[in-house]
Amino acid sequence: MRPLDGVRVLDFTWVVAGPVTTRILADLGAEVIKIERRNTLDFGDRRGGLSGTLMRGKKSLLIDLNDPRGVELARRLAALSDVVIDNFSARVMSNLGLDYETLRALKPDVICVRMTGFGLTGPARDYVSYGPTLQALAGYTLLMAEPDGPPAGFGYSYSDLAGGNLGALAVLAALWHRRKTGRGQLVDLSQLEAVASLVGPTLLAEAASSPTGNASQEGPAGPHGVYRCAGEERWLAITVFTGAEWAGLARVVAEPWTREARFATEAGRVEHAAELDRLLAAWTATRVAENVMRALQAAGVPAGVVANAEDLCARDPQLAARGHFVEVATPEGRTVRIDGPPYLLSDTPARVSGPGPLLGEHADLVLGGLLGLSAEERRALREAGVIA
Amino acid sequence: MPDGALAGVRVLDLADRTGALAGKLLAGLGADVVKVEPPGGDPMRALPPFWEGVAAPERSLFFWFYDAGKRSVTLDTASSEGAALLDRLVAKADVLIETGPPGGTDALRAAHPRLVVASITPFGQQGPYRNWKSSDTVAEAMGGMMFVNGHADGPPLRALGLQAYHQAGIFAAVGAVAALFARETTGRGQHVDVSLQAAVAGALEHVPGFWHQAGLVHHRQGTLHWTRYFRVGRCKDGWVMHCTLGDWTALVEWMKSDGMAENLDDPAWLDLNLRKDGAEHLFDTIEAWAARYTVAELTEGAQLRRIPYAAVRPPEALLRDPQLAARGFFVPIEHPDLGLTVPYPGAPFRMDDTRWRVARPPRLGEHTEAVLRGWLG
Repeated sequence: MRPLDGVRVLDFTWVVAGPVTTRILADLGAEVIKIERRNTLDFGDRRGGLSGTLMRGKKSLLIDLNDPRGVELARRLAALSDVVIDNFSARVMSNLGLDYETLRALKPDVICVRMTGFGLTGPARDYVSYGPTLQALAGYTLLMAEPDGPPAGFGYSYSDLAGGNLGALAVLAALWHRRKTGRGQLVDLSQLEAVASLVGPTLLAEAASSPTGNASQEGPAGPHGVYRCAGEERWLAITVFTGAEWAGLARVVAEPWTREARFATEAGRVEHAAELDRLLAAWTATRVAENVMRALQAAGVPAGVVANAEDLCARDPQLAARGHFVEVATPEGRTVRIDGPPYLLSDTPARVSGPGPLLGEHADLVLGGLLGLSAEERRALREAGVIA
Repeated sequence: MPDGALAGVRVLDLADRTGALAGKLLAGLGADVVKVEPPGGDPMRALPPFWEGVAAPERSLFFWFYDAGKRSVTLDTASSEGAALLDRLVAKADVLIETGPPGGTDALRAAHPRLVVASITPFGQQGPYRNWKSSDTVAEAMGGMMFVNGHADGPPLRALGLQAYHQAGIFAAVGAVAALFARETTGRGQHVDVSLQAAVAGALEHVPGFWHQAGLVHHRQGTLHWTRYFRVGRCKDGWVMHCTLGDWTALVEWMKSDGMAENLDDPAWLDLNLRKDGAEHLFDTIEAWAARYTVAELTEGAQLRRIPYAAVRPPEALLRDPQLAARGFFVPIEHPDLGLTVPYPGAPFRMDDTRWRVARPPRLGEHTEAVLRGWLG
């Protein structure tokens, strides 16, 4: 048993943000039916890896929505769905005749989720965006930089993950409201607003911001940052908040400078942060990151390697023990690796329902089984290029 | 408009700063979120930044951000009377959010089988690192986020904002509402086990995916996005996010009209894969052209042509963004004690049948009486 057993989601989403929302729903047991198009961005193998992680456990239908017969199929599926979701720019679903008002006429308690860049209203509602442009607008790109350095920002579309994960919360809340009241609703998720809502306390301070590099954003800490270790591109993150943690670090490092009076108090360590960073970095530079991490953690000091993809997926015993990455069998007899849900439920676990689908893999299953189209009707639609 | 989507759900929030966002999200959705503070106040009240830089328990912007919309109850849980009251509150709660050591809620969950307990810990309830310590930065490092942020010749960079804590808070809220759903069927609560490290790993994009499918280790490469379709460049008066997706032909026509398209009008560039491979040449050419324009001219001109450009700007620019203003994203919140009205960031998403609630952060113990009366009678 899973929490969303019996919930059906009609999923028009593409790229990353929308699929992140619907993969969470699929992990929780919802039946997610993806409506796909040809010639969209290609991330490689659809079964596993990035695509498989985005589309895990979903069904795929390829429908030509430029053909009225295709739109009619989509409408019939919407009438049988609890949630209809897309992440196009604002006007696309209206142009297709799949806007909330139309969907509500087909199914009065439908939950319609529109994940646009800027929202369904306002002067920028038709602006186009991707994750990197939204991160730039919300301040992340400029302020994620070395002190006095040029912008760096995230190396990926964090905004898509933030908006996608929040989108799943929106769907769950709307489903809860429907269970209690019988009412569906429209969720208008502006991905700019979603990622702006996560900037943090700095948004309440009307002060000129400037990049702070890797300084603490959760109160005074010193040392606090990343320190280069022995080997190619090996770094260790270290955080010292308390006197006990400083004592632990001093024990492990055991250099004369750890006994200097100027570093004895938190205020002193923060005041002399640059010098402390330099001394600590000189000490870590000749040491193996994993060894220092274990020694510091054994002494009660927060420390962790700056994990690259291999550290994360192949070398981290903790994520492995949680079953964070899973191997999934494909219908072709392959085994692919996929990320699983990052949270664990003790009684009704979320889990990966299956690999990513091939394009149009479930056309017969969905159109035959759910809509009751005969083999003859499906063949005719296929020959006309409406489905694949 | 009716109350929030989670109206009637009772949440007891015992979380420290690492899990504070979960309760804030549930409060925004309309749940009654009661924060239990020690008599001296929650440690978050002592965290900077402070309003006008003056440190005081009711002036911490950190507390304001994470605890807006919650109710505050003061309990001395070290005393037997306080502990007994906490027990009685737990008995009335649907959801409890906590950030204590792994395994610390086993007895509590056994005593309250209908309770949903969301636990946020550095590494999760089980596994070899379960007793290790963390911080937002350590979690971003070990979760795989930091390695790909930053310039190739510089250090890995942490995020703006406590994004490890934020992702953990979102997953805790997702897990808690999912567990409430399950309880409707099973009659049982359950344990939602959130790991800061795993939450960060659950907010990655290319890093694990390309390891799984191709054994690739992606490195940081400055502002050049891993897809190679985005890069930041300097123009006349600031920084702008350039993009080679969207209406490519329209971008090249614009550059041509300025006589600066170089070889970008070669039809070969219509191929997305070639644009990816040739990213450095394309962005160098585009930046040379863009130097004549201001950020506003570039972003407005691009959006008119359906090209996704954006200004690279500080977060406070959000406060003056006409789009956010038109939608009322920031909500004015009165702080009567300070004689202030402060714009608070509002809903991460809008729901047309249920209200997102933004309310003033509570004074220490402001709701002790009301909650003890309302929850315990």
